[in-house]
Amino acid sequence: MAEGAGSPKGVPDGPGKRFRPAQYQPPLPLDRLILKDGAEGAGDRMELDVLIVGAGPAGLACAIELARLAQREGTDRNIGVLEKAESLGEHSLSGAVVNPRAFRELFPDLKDADFPFRGPVGKERVALLTSRRAITLPTPPTMHNAGNYVASLCEIVRWMGERATALGVNVFTGFPAASLLVDGRGVAGVRTAATGLDREGRPLSNYMAPNDLTAKVTALAEGTRGTLSQAWLEWQAVRSENPQIFALGVKEIWETKRPLDSIVHTLGWPVPTDGFGGSFMYPLEPNLVALGLVVGLDYRNAALDVHELLQLMKLHPLFRQYLEGGELVEWGAKTIPEGGYYALPGRRAGDGVVLLGDSAGFVDVPSLKGIHYAMQSGIFAARAIHAALKAGDASAARLADYDRLVNASFIMNDLYRTRNMRLAFKDGFYAGGMKAALMTLTGGRFPGGRIAMEPDAEVERRLTPTLRPGLPTPDGRLTFSKVDAVFKSGNATRDTIPIHLVVGKDVPTAVAEFYARMCPAGVYELAQGALRVNAPNCVDCKATDVLGPRWTPREGGSGPKYKRM
Amino acid sequence: MKIAVCIKRVPDSETRVKIASDGKSLDEAGVKFILNPYDEFAVEEALRRKEKAGSGEVVVIALGPAAAQETIRTALAMGADRGILLQSDRIPLDGLEVAQALAAEFKGAGFDLILFGKMAIDDYNHQVGPMVAELLDLPCVTTVAHLEIDGGKGVAEREIEGGVEVVEFPLPAVLTTDKGLNEPRYPALKGIMAAKKKPLEVKTVSLGGGGLELLALTPPPERKEGKIVGEGAAAVPELVRLLREEAKVL
Amino acid sequence: MSNVLAVLEQRDGALRKVSHEVVTGARRLADALGGSVEALVLAAGAVRGAEQVGRFGADKVITLTNAAFGLYAPEGYARAIAERVKSGTYGVVAFAASATGKDLAPRVAARLGRPLAQDVTDFGVEGGAVTVTRPVYAGKALLKLKITGAPALISLRPSVFTPVERPKAGAQETAAAGGSAGRVVVKQIKAAEAGTLDVAEAPIIVSGGRGLKEPANFKVLEELAAAFAGRAAVGASRAVVDAGWRPHAEQVGQTGKTVSPTLYVAVGISGAIQHLAGMRTSKVIVAINKDKDAPIFKVADYGIVGDLFEVVPKLTEEIKKTHG
Repeated sequence: MAEGAGSPKGVPDGPGKRFRPAQYQPPLPLDRLILKDGAEGAGDRMELDVLIVGAGPAGLACAIELARLAQREGTDRNIGVLEKAESLGEHSLSGAVVNPRAFRELFPDLKDADFPFRGPVGKERVALLTSRRAITLPTPPTMHNAGNYVASLCEIVRWMGERATALGVNVFTGFPAASLLVDGRGVAGVRTAATGLDREGRPLSNYMAPNDLTAKVTALAEGTRGTLSQAWLEWQAVRSENPQIFALGVKEIWETKRPLDSIVHTLGWPVPTDGFGGSFMYPLEPNLVALGLVVGLDYRNAALDVHELLQLMKLHPLFRQYLEGGELVEWGAKTIPEGGYYALPGRRAGDGVVLLGDSAGFVDVPSLKGIHYAMQSGIFAARAIHAALKAGDASAARLADYDRLVNASFIMNDLYRTRNMRLAFKDGFYAGGMKAALMTLTGGRFPGGRIAMEPDAEVERRLTPTLRPGLPTPDGRLTFSKVDAVFKSGNATRDTIPIHLVVGKDVPTAVAEFYARMCPAGVYELAQGALRVNAPNCVDCKATDVLGPRWTPREGGSGPKYKRM
Repeated sequence: MKIAVCIKRVPDSETRVKIASDGKSLDEAGVKFILNPYDEFAVEEALRRKEKAGSGEVVVIALGPAAAQETIRTALAMGADRGILLQSDRIPLDGLEVAQALAAEFKGAGFDLILFGKMAIDDYNHQVGPMVAELLDLPCVTTVAHLEIDGGKGVAEREIEGGVEVVEFPLPAVLTTDKGLNEPRYPALKGIMAAKKKPLEVKTVSLGGGGLELLALTPPPERKEGKIVGEGAAAVPELVRLLREEAKVL
Repeated sequence: MSNVLAVLEQRDGALRKVSHEVVTGARRLADALGGSVEALVLAAGAVRGAEQVGRFGADKVITLTNAAFGLYAPEGYARAIAERVKSGTYGVVAFAASATGKDLAPRVAARLGRPLAQDVTDFGVEGGAVTVTRPVYAGKALLKLKITGAPALISLRPSVFTPVERPKAGAQETAAAGGSAGRVVVKQIKAAEAGTLDVAEAPIIVSGGRGLKEPANFKVLEELAAAFAGRAAVGASRAVVDAGWRPHAEQVGQTGKTVSPTLYVAVGISGAIQHLAGMRTSKVIVAINKDKDAPIFKVADYGIVGDLFEVVPKLTEEIKKTHG
């Protein structure tokens, strides 16, 4: 894993230069991500019935449903969930406004009031922003949130984790899955990451070798841009009609002096008109506000910096009126898969494996929903896995039941209805807005047909000198530098950890600058004309994996420690 | 070797401290609780000593609320053999009260070593270990950063201002551990699984009245605006004076 | 119950300077309680500097001698002090919260069956009872406590109670203390190995960045750290560690690993992207940089704008004087 060095070798640098990020992006290191089961290098070996990678809403819903199905039949089921964060919820981040239907299905004995939500959505507001004004718009039909709840995903995950553990599920925190273990064409399990290596990869005194966990079925619920999910799809050549595309969301939680009594969504400023995105602001409590800015990663201007735009956005009167005099409590970032229906893999089940939640792409951009789809996918996967285990058959053919359940459900219905909405915005805000409006009015039928896409990394970028003026020095009260922000994410990653990012060779200055702006956590810096990689800063948002150096799993417990994100 | 380790469930040191509305306690919303980091050195040391001796038992004891069972399980996952929770929702301010409850547990139990972390990262009290030793009339060395044991005797090294104290003591003894004594192991997957089945006894404990009354918990004074003391080497004497008299760090 | 017993410390037969702080604190308390200050020091023989203690407000200074008390003897000292307290009527027994004090005070407290407030940074008397303030949660909050009953045992955080001259009689007394050192025997005090002070635990960190220009120049920081007589560690910014100038062990983290020294001196560190989040919980931050607009000055409590190659050696000189 080498650090890149800047090199102007025959590549003109400076403003006006065009490039495609894909030119400098290394491929996914499949030789490391896919290992033959039985390969050397592991310490302990553990056999389970079902292994779930990722203790997010999808993974935990799957674990809970599996445990309950087994309990009902009096079967002993050994279920293990691997989570890379040190404690449940620490890598979970979302807006969030949650549709409770999956909770009701998973916990039929409980009432809405029992669920880990902060409060029902009351008033809603959608506004079009300019740099000075906020013009209230009628709420688009896709964004009505009556009946939904404001929640913290961290709190949801911790709550679900307790229920899973009470049902006998083994939840192993601090154990990232670093490679798939395969047997022929089937997935046999995973190998976890080693712990206690120094920067050169040499073992320290508390070194722990990787563990191999094998199971009859492995459910990959890694969240956005899952590494093993990508590896499996590539290895098994599973295609989708469109490539998956992503947006980057940067989020903050504030304790405010002024109470907020409605959920707010905005469009327009500060997202550039040739880009896609918007903001959200939700009250977890009247004086505990979650807000964030989401921007599609297909932006054309290589100088765009989402974290910086969020800092600028907070100075707008709409937000400032709440934040002034308040305190930044948490900061974080995460990408969101935005490709929708056409970007779903052709199948999400294989020999010994299923893909859940964001890893499969079950996110509906126009309504900004993903959590209840993730949970529902986990529930369907559990049912298919349970039946497969009973039949003693974990083949792709049998596990295809999972795909059938999803395809026949509201997950697929919803995604199909909005299948082109995000893509319409490829033509920019105004044209996109019109197309989206037409789609909504016609239930997705017009303009119909699939709008073709290219992966974000193939979109050409240009460093434009005539950008809007950047933010003045962060004031540390309303606006914050990336280093201060990373501190607020709770990131205390060991500084001597091996670098987990795979950087391309010969990264020119312009591209290094692009990386530095792209990464919200300040991992990349242009220093002395060369690309410097501050890997411990990484908060696992995965933007880098989409546009730049590839992200690979690192020592468990690394990364952010979100509390209420 | 029969070794007891006293541990505490504490808020994570990275915690942003918010004071509850009663002005006397920590607002626990969003606070993560962990095994006291200094206690990790104690657990690790106990495990190593038992492994070196080839046989024995490592018992982990905590005084705290029901949730402290999770903290005990962490130590069990590291390799301790069994745990005891002295359950009390209220953790006494007075270290002597805690020491008395623990000492009652240890009387006649025949431990070769009783280990503590040097202090807890919430109260910074730095006292329960030696107090337990006094109550049990056992030898005690605090803030041990290096340890050798040979048969019934031990030699410990502890950091003092400007040097290292080399201390000899007989076993059985009470020791409190400091950073640098060892590198605590991460719980292994198998250890985490095994911990669920290890014995964890929960006892209720009656705590005596303490001699300390909590008046208030307040945030520290606001950090004052910084100032540029001057330019060049000429500003140094004034800087040193300020550091000594105003900042009180010299 | 208005008298205060101040427990002093000696090393190699000379009184440690922290003892002046303990007497100063004891005097303040005794005045509030309306009583006297008795200073107590345990040693093998006469203690150089004990005769000075009257200056800081001790009415009486007692040297308790025992051949086994030259080096710190935890059990012997605890027994002797507890006996002394039981034989008198003290409202407060004050120790320094030094390495020795924090070890000794709990033993005495347990012997007396009395509570102990460690590492106190302020105190008062309210309604006849002693109240104390002490930092908790790594200094992120202050706890105020009332101590009921007598005596109140407290240890005072070093460097907080600046010695103040309030001369009293300081009558010198020597007495023999019986008994042995106890089962726990301090055999010797070794010099601390150079460079073993862990940056993560050091009370003082002197940290350098690329402004040092070359690895060899870190020598000026090593000299400054040495001037603090074993209390300071040299730290390095990530840039400098990445460049191979300093070992990884010295790196002061960028990702918020808590380094919480009492004093953090940032030399040639601009404070921009290398800005150390963890260091901001330091009690006091001093910045030395030749650029007056360097962002570090916004974070520092005290700053000197100037050439570090002139400022740092001068600082080393001045620090040596205070620590002499």
